[in-house]
Amino acid sequence: MTDKTPKSVSATLAAATCSLLGSAPAAPVQAQEDPGWDFNTALLYYGEDNDRVQDLSLNILGKRYFVDDRALTLGLTVDTLTGATPNGAIRQGVPQTFTRPSGSSVYTIPANELPLDDTFKDTRVALTAGWEQPLGRLWKTSVGFSGSFEYDYTHLGLNGGLSRDFNNRNTTVSAGLAIARDEWDPVGGTPIPFSPMLDVGDTGNKTGTETKDVVDAVLGVTQVISRNLLVQLNYSFSNSTGYLTDPYKFLSLVDGATGDTITRVPAPGVEGPSHEFRFESRPDDRTKHSVYTQAKYYMGGKVLDASYRYMTDDWEIDSHTLDLRLRWPIGEQSFVEPHFRFYTQSEADFYTISLVEGIELPAFASSDYRLGNFDAITAGLKYGWTTRGGNEMSVRAELYQQRGSIPGNLLIGNQVGRETYPDLDAIIVQFSYRFSR
Amino acid sequence: MGGRRPPRQVSVEEGQDCMVCHFDAMASPCELLIESDDRSEAARLAEIAADEAWRIEDKFSRYLPGNTVGRINASRGDAVTVDEETASLLDFAQTLHNLSNGRFDITSGVLREVWTFDGGDRLPDPQAVSSVLQRVGWDKVTWQRPVFTLQAGMEIDLGGIGKEYAVDRVAVKLRDAATCSAVVNFGGDLAVTRAPLERRAWRVGIEPVSANERRRDTVLEIAAGALATSGDSRRFLLKAGVRYSHILDPRSGWPVEGAPRSVTVAADTCTQAGMLSTLAMLEGHNAEAFLEGEGVKFWCRR
Repeated sequence: MTDKTPKSVSATLAAATCSLLGSAPAAPVQAQEDPGWDFNTALLYYGEDNDRVQDLSLNILGKRYFVDDRALTLGLTVDTLTGATPNGAIRQGVPQTFTRPSGSSVYTIPANELPLDDTFKDTRVALTAGWEQPLGRLWKTSVGFSGSFEYDYTHLGLNGGLSRDFNNRNTTVSAGLAIARDEWDPVGGTPIPFSPMLDVGDTGNKTGTETKDVVDAVLGVTQVISRNLLVQLNYSFSNSTGYLTDPYKFLSLVDGATGDTITRVPAPGVEGPSHEFRFESRPDDRTKHSVYTQAKYYMGGKVLDASYRYMTDDWEIDSHTLDLRLRWPIGEQSFVEPHFRFYTQSEADFYTISLVEGIELPAFASSDYRLGNFDAITAGLKYGWTTRGGNEMSVRAELYQQRGSIPGNLLIGNQVGRETYPDLDAIIVQFSYRFSR
Repeated sequence: MGGRRPPRQVSVEEGQDCMVCHFDAMASPCELLIESDDRSEAARLAEIAADEAWRIEDKFSRYLPGNTVGRINASRGDAVTVDEETASLLDFAQTLHNLSNGRFDITSGVLREVWTFDGGDRLPDPQAVSSVLQRVGWDKVTWQRPVFTLQAGMEIDLGGIGKEYAVDRVAVKLRDAATCSAVVNFGGDLAVTRAPLERRAWRVGIEPVSANERRRDTVLEIAAGALATSGDSRRFLLKAGVRYSHILDPRSGWPVEGAPRSVTVAADTCTQAGMLSTLAMLEGHNAEAFLEGEGVKFWCRR
């Protein structure tokens, strides 16, 4: 049977049944499980080494099916972020003092250490709601809402999708559109791009809130190739406009010959930065295109899930993501799933290490390591089992390793040998529980 | 299809929000749920349903020597001319045999001579299996509608099709006989005659695999179409930790490896649902992949 296309069995069977019974079916089948609510819950810990970002996240997703395959989905995520993250300045042979984003105090980084901002602390609450509705036998529509709330950031979004089955349901073509409006309201105001970091209490470089609009569109095809193979191909487009700068990141202003940061002296009687720093500036428009392809291959109970994504944008970042998972059953009630992911990206065209004093500033600049040139590997294992009550549990543990490099032409004078890409190691542990009520 | 014949009687009771009728046919408890509060109307429909179920049982049960199947099985290699309905069932069996590359075979019933699935650990002698296998194989029969020729020593058994076929036949009869919605449920294989009016869907439960498993019943809502379940909850052998399901591969004469404990499939008709669940069982380890590939709704228990 394995060499027959799936289509032939159902279609042939339908025709044979029709002639056996001497009549066509009265109506297409409408049957589904009535589980009340189906809940997917997860507790996730993400921890970066060296006291960098720690994230504890609780996720609850509830889905309720109604007759005719209509379904309501409600989601809640609560996140707590703590820890330190690189603030964008370069290392110095002397201690460096920075004004906190709030503008109300300072922090000092010892000599030769990578400047990290340890004020990173946030609680995020995110809500999603969605409604799926089939239209006839072949069409399916969905609409949804998303919102997330942090003390300095608000996201509100709407999305809609449409899909149609073809070719005896062996082919599904889908399209989706999402729009979002995000608002930054950082404590102490949003920095004006390229404005200098000022002394405590001086808010001359800050404005009020800033917004960002995002439009995402996706077009996809899912195709059943054979009994054992399912493939998917997606193209997505994303356009963001507005304030795309990170209000907490800045760059060191350096001497063009030595590459050392220009020192400054705070006004008498107040605390302030020990060196010259300029808030980063990113373009107010970003367009991304990506192509995603995925294959799921069933091999006698085992499932291989392989995907690849290519993304390119007009900030000149190109990225490649390869993701492999193999679900391997152990007995009848449990499975293990090794996971491997490789990611690589090139740096943004305005990515740099520092700004040079006395030279006209570029149009845009950021030293955010996430816009740099890096590779990342994720490797992990998931173990899942079915409880006696028929619910599903799983535990996942993964290691994440990010390694980058700074293009040599961006380094000036003493920066050579001193500045390195801030490599990152993190662990991810997730516990999931799925149950119905 | 039926061993000892229970008394043929129909009961009609008032259920919570529908009329419930019971009778026994084809070795299964048969139930009708009728969206009506009219007891005499329910009794009339139950009569129609039971008559059709018993007619099919009488004609195709392999336990009744003088009926159509009995005549074929006693033919000792002689050609038998069959009627339209039997011919349609044989055509269907042939299609299924082709679709399943020989895994679905109505001549495989004689394997029961060597296999007894009673939860015990007695496996048959491989020699005995090979010897019985000589008398199995749709490719050994001659089927030229309406003439069927079975080799001496072979038997056909329509039990793998009969119950689902009966459910669909009864559903058609009830659809013609009444405007109200009904569920025709023969031992878990069921069909809805037409869309219910007073409720959005009928609610039916799929049995847990075994009673001592605490897994809750799955409740399904069905507004149109049919459900059928294949399973081996009670019929299996256990030897040296290996569970042998009662699903035999007629090509080898041995149980299919890795068959789920039960598979429930939803389809437009009970016959389609039943055949898809049977074919899925025959796929063994690949049952879920097969059903996913078919794009049908299913509930699989392992």
